[in-house]
Amino acid sequence: MNAKTIGKKIAFYVGIVVVWEVVFLLHIIPEQAFPSPIQVGKTLVHEAANGSLPYGIATSMWRLIVGLAIAITGGMILGIFMAKVETANQTLGSLILGLQSIPSVAWVPLALIWFGPTDAGVIFVTVAGALFAVSINTYSGIKNVPPTYLVAGKNMGASGFQLITNVMIPAAFPYLISGFKQGWAYAWRGVIAAEIIFSVVGLGFLLNTGKHYNDISQVTAILIVIMGIGILVDGFVFKKIERNVMSRWGLTQV
Amino acid sequence: MTKLQAKNIIKHFDHNGNSVLALDGINLNVDEGDFVCIVGPSGCGKTTFLNIVAGLEKPDSGEILLNGNKISTPGPDRTMVFQEGALFPWLKVIDNVEFGLKIAGIPKDQRRQISQRYLDMMQLTKFADSYIYQLSTGMKQRVAIARALAMDPEILLMDEPFAAIDSQTRDLLLVELQLIWERTKKTIIFVTHNILESVILGNRVVVFKNCPSKIKKEIIIDYRRPRLAEDENLQKYYHQILEELKSEVMTRIKDESR
Repeated sequence: MNAKTIGKKIAFYVGIVVVWEVVFLLHIIPEQAFPSPIQVGKTLVHEAANGSLPYGIATSMWRLIVGLAIAITGGMILGIFMAKVETANQTLGSLILGLQSIPSVAWVPLALIWFGPTDAGVIFVTVAGALFAVSINTYSGIKNVPPTYLVAGKNMGASGFQLITNVMIPAAFPYLISGFKQGWAYAWRGVIAAEIIFSVVGLGFLLNTGKHYNDISQVTAILIVIMGIGILVDGFVFKKIERNVMSRWGLTQV
Repeated sequence: MTKLQAKNIIKHFDHNGNSVLALDGINLNVDEGDFVCIVGPSGCGKTTFLNIVAGLEKPDSGEILLNGNKISTPGPDRTMVFQEGALFPWLKVIDNVEFGLKIAGIPKDQRRQISQRYLDMMQLTKFADSYIYQLSTGMKQRVAIARALAMDPEILLMDEPFAAIDSQTRDLLLVELQLIWERTKKTIIFVTHNILESVILGNRVVVFKNCPSKIKKEIIIDYRRPRLAEDENLQKYYHQILEELKSEVMTRIKDESR
């Protein structure tokens, strides 16, 4: 990102805050339904200082990381299995397509029945939301590996598991990364949704507390934090990996 | 000493549901340290034969013996240089060269030693840390040759490795390959449709007949090395092979226009 782009971004966000404050000062919308940016800022500082915000972030991130790790590992295993065994693709493949269409939040009742309002319940929702997207992307990635890479790998003595880890997965990586990105997006939605509904810690819980006390400032503050984490993870984790892969392969960044 | 023996290799292709005979009993003996070129019209089964030697395809009948032992699976004792390189874009040049060694479980410092030697031989040392997309086609084939040699194979298989390279670079590589062969004393089977290439490189040139493929003629080229593309004395061999191939190409054209 060059200085000019960064400048534009800063100007844009400052502009939003200014417009926001002006709308607040005009009292078009009642104060209980529309907080001022200053109030929201104060809430953020307060929650950060009393520890509830850092604790909430840590809890949600921990659940996200565990859930996403399980979803990526499991999704890759499933995807590779479907790509290697045609019967598995014809049978299991259609089921996975169906499961993938279920919104993360729809897994909540099942999570509650199986695990109760626990960490495991939240992680279950996270995994269920992300796993199938990862496996579908892995499947198409492995299917699209140019056969010459596999032939070359076999020619140099790779077979079985070595061929998968040393040739197939790296060759499919440009596809896999888009699966991981999709998986993360679903996982993050899953964590927050589950926490809103049944957790007593985490960002989703803090959001729900805000609603409970009719505290619009708290609700807005937490929404901003959730969005901020999204921007950071996208920009610093996935964009970085993507850029790295792109430059190795000599592909141009879109 | 005989390094490789192909015994009556027969192979059918499936073409639009019909079984087409591609290789009709190929018999070939290759001595240790020999440089054998297989030349023939495009699409006549040369690559299929090479793939069978590599163990990447299975013959319908017949067998391949390496040092007297029957082979049926791919193995690093028969490394191949592919037409389009088939290098791995996710690895640096040096890691491409070390790929097979890593698969074989050779420790890192030993791998580095071996890869340095072949990078040096192929004049690639400067490019060790480059990625594949940064290389020209000619450089890519140098990497592919280094990668194949790093495995120290019993026999080196080359499938039209210079087909996509501009002629100046190719002439240079043709000389280099002869020097490498003399230096490493590797047994090489080199497949090409380019007659001049086969004459420059081969101790023996094996001419493949059109579909179904059979060995039509074998020509021994006993001439000093390194041979250069512009050497007039190679012309007589060139024309000898050209005559053999002309009739093949003509029958093919007739077949196709029928």
